Amino acid sequence: MSARRHPSDAALASYAGGTLDEARRLVVAAHLAICAQCRVAVSAFEATGGVILDDLEPTPLRQGARGAILEKLAAPFAHEPRPGNDEFAGPLAAYELGPWRWLGRGISWRRVDIPEAGNMRAFMLKAAPGTRLPHHKHQGAEWTCVLQGAYRHDDGIYGPADFDEADETIEHRPVVEAGDECICLVALEGQIALQGWVGRLLQPLIRF
Amino acid sequence: MIQFGFAAVFPVVSMVLSDVIAPRRVFPARRERHAPATKRGHIGRQMHDPTRNSAVFDAAKLIVAIAERQDRAAFGALFDFYAPRLKTFLMRRGATAELAEDLAQEALLAIWRKARSFDPARATASAWIFAITRNLRIDEARRGVKAQAVDFFDLIAPEEIAQPDAIVSAADSEARVRHAMKSLPDDQLDVVRLSFFEGRAHGSIADALQIPVGTVKSRLRLAMNKLRDLLSELS
Repeated sequence: MSARRHPSDAALASYAGGTLDEARRLVVAAHLAICAQCRVAVSAFEATGGVILDDLEPTPLRQGARGAILEKLAAPFAHEPRPGNDEFAGPLAAYELGPWRWLGRGISWRRVDIPEAGNMRAFMLKAAPGTRLPHHKHQGAEWTCVLQGAYRHDDGIYGPADFDEADETIEHRPVVEAGDECICLVALEGQIALQGWVGRLLQPLIRF
Repeated sequence: MIQFGFAAVFPVVSMVLSDVIAPRRVFPARRERHAPATKRGHIGRQMHDPTRNSAVFDAAKLIVAIAERQDRAAFGALFDFYAPRLKTFLMRRGATAELAEDLAQEALLAIWRKARSFDPARATASAWIFAITRNLRIDEARRGVKAQAVDFFDLIAPEEIAQPDAIVSAADSEARVRHAMKSLPDDQLDVVRLSFFEGRAHGSIADALQIPVGTVKSRLRLAMNKLRDLLSELS
């Protein structure tokens, strides 16, 4: 399985720099778990971060900092237990997931618990072949990584591992392709204004 | 133990020690960058750094020394170079001086503990240290919300091992990254650093550099295109 549609360089650089919010970081990570080519790009941007780090001006440390840390080197360290789920390998494994909830004709969703506070949320969406996903406008970013199946909208077909980066200027109406159920991981910013009957069903989703 | 008490009091001597442990390797690009630094005068751009000249070392070798024999002198040398720079980096990310220093210390401890997972064939030393610190900062930011530590940058470590002939040595790739960055005009490099590595919004960058937001965006676009071209040669 190899992706044909990738995150933008800006998305990969922000991921490598550690400046993405957690929801988008997770969606990018889901793509990276599958896409070797983008992992190489992230490594290159991390190397860029390393060079930037080397070139920073040093800030003096507190007195005695060096001695204090040297004394800590021998101390044993504890591993914190990791929460998560058993269903997924890769980046999603580290997250608590809600149950699948039915949303209406052929569509269900589940919560992905993002500890970071903020205006971005993450969730998974599952839709049956032929389903027309709700018509919606968004107020900000909507980043999607396809985990299974495929959908199509004005920009073409998005299949497994493909990455779809939309913002408030884009208004899509995706339709799920024939074949497998389509499962996506989505990071969504702000509120979405849903339209139509599916929209009314989906609306509770944005209040979780 | 004795040598470290000594090193703490006489950092210059510890530099010398570190040089004995790890013979100097001057990154060519860094030397070139350093020379015209005073002319640059950009935000955060190095003006004068005495440790730069005296302690340009092979950080990868130091990390390997820690991994192989828990070399405390090697650790001391890494600490002297990186802890103050990590503090600067973390303060730029919005941490207070105190938190920045605590996190910088944690990062150095993580370097000590994780040294064995450092693979010079896969990452440059500075990239590895950058990534460790980035992850610590992310975890710190999440800590207030819910006690959970997810090192998902580790979870997505590539499973496949590159073929030997496909591996660009880390030293080589570092030199290339430096070269790529040096070939960017300063005004483009500044927006890259502020945007992707310090996480500042376009508007805030525009204010800091006193340029229109549209210019920030166009510089970013130009810089990313160039970096992409230059860095793609690494793969």
